[in-house]
Amino acid sequence: MDIFNISLPIAGIEFNALLLLLIGFCVGVLGGFFGVGGGWIVTPALNIFGFHMAYAIGTDLSNIFGQSIGATVKHHKMGNIDWKLGFISIAASVVGLEIGSQVILFLEKAGDVGSIVRWCYLFLMFGLGSLMFYDYLSQNPARQKGKLGLSVDPINSKPKKPKRSISERLHNINLPPMISFPASGIRSVSLWIVLLVFLFTGFLSGFLGVGGGFIRMPALVYLIGVPTVIAVGTDLMSVLFSGAYGCFTYAIKGRVEFIAAFIMLIGASIGAQIGATAVKYIKGYGIRLLFAIMILFAGCSIALEQIYKITEIPAFQSTAGIVLMGTAVIMTFIIITRLFLEVKKEKKNLKLSRN
Amino acid sequence: MSMKKIITLCLLFFVLSIAYNNSFASSEVGGKQETSLNEKVGTKNLSGVNLWIVELYNNDRFMYAVVVVLVMAALGSIMAFGTDLVLKHFGINVSRISHSE
Repeated sequence: MDIFNISLPIAGIEFNALLLLLIGFCVGVLGGFFGVGGGWIVTPALNIFGFHMAYAIGTDLSNIFGQSIGATVKHHKMGNIDWKLGFISIAASVVGLEIGSQVILFLEKAGDVGSIVRWCYLFLMFGLGSLMFYDYLSQNPARQKGKLGLSVDPINSKPKKPKRSISERLHNINLPPMISFPASGIRSVSLWIVLLVFLFTGFLSGFLGVGGGFIRMPALVYLIGVPTVIAVGTDLMSVLFSGAYGCFTYAIKGRVEFIAAFIMLIGASIGAQIGATAVKYIKGYGIRLLFAIMILFAGCSIALEQIYKITEIPAFQSTAGIVLMGTAVIMTFIIITRLFLEVKKEKKNLKLSRN
Repeated sequence: MSMKKIITLCLLFFVLSIAYNNSFASSEVGGKQETSLNEKVGTKNLSGVNLWIVELYNNDRFMYAVVVVLVMAALGSIMAFGTDLVLKHFGINVSRISHSE
């Protein structure tokens, strides 16, 4: 495999070009499918394989920017982007991000900020993953249908009042000015609620030092009440803007390894198109289940990284990398397989209906 | 919102970020101290595209950033367009979809 090793003069290292293509492709598929930038996968992966952290972040942001262009255009074509909501999310997130980074600066003066951030990251990953997994198990229409068919006594059992979701409760708060998002099917919601949600997600991304796609996407679904595929598209649009800014600002500071970003983007933009296309064929609940699994495994990887920081046993760090990259590769494989199976099924149905 | 408006907003955002970063860069590079903004990379044993990139990186960091952004945008768009054509060839058509959970 050494023949694929290339010299990366700016980062000052040698790196395997095939590995760059593979990392790019996986994060492209996951980014296009989940509507996230994927920095939480690429940055640790590049870092583990030899990139200095600052170059890993800068190169990753350049890749995120390039891959999200094509995927955003594709989601726009499919009608998956709520531009009005997207621009509000960017504006509020920037303010939240600034507050988050100020809190970090304050904590830095007080003591060990790294450990606090990692514990919060861990709590968020497991909390979010468990919440989405629980939601899938309790709300999935197919499972609900199965439950109803089992042992319901129509005479003695009282009809259960359907539970109101968090987003429905938030929509009922009448705090003017009210705003509507027709593209997301939201008739009326208080602008303050929307701003508060994005301020909070922005704060988390500033505090944790991440792009925030994996926080914004579930927030759009569970707190604002946006359909999953529109949440994916709208989040990707926000990622495009933050990626563009991140790419430029890191490049001017000299922390983008241009050749690595270029090679990674070849794989990522192919992957992003496949991921964005798969959204058309996999239902919202399926997307949320896969996202929950991905987040939970990413949480496991961070937990291993945290154990490494405490024990300083290198095996934990390499296992963390293997868990993260392994999950990304398996998830990419599942998405592509599901896509091709669904396409095959669609073609078969089309053939039958013609006959 | 039309595509024209979106493109205008994107360009505006980009120009603003250039202005912000450029002012930051020029204020930092003026000093003698070695910072991330004026550090140099060795060009020994380099040739062709590698040499050109490193020289650009060493001599004009602002142009380097502009080239990175433009190349990333162009490559991302070209690759996305090409992949779309290949997917269409396999019968995977992407059009407006109905939104259901």
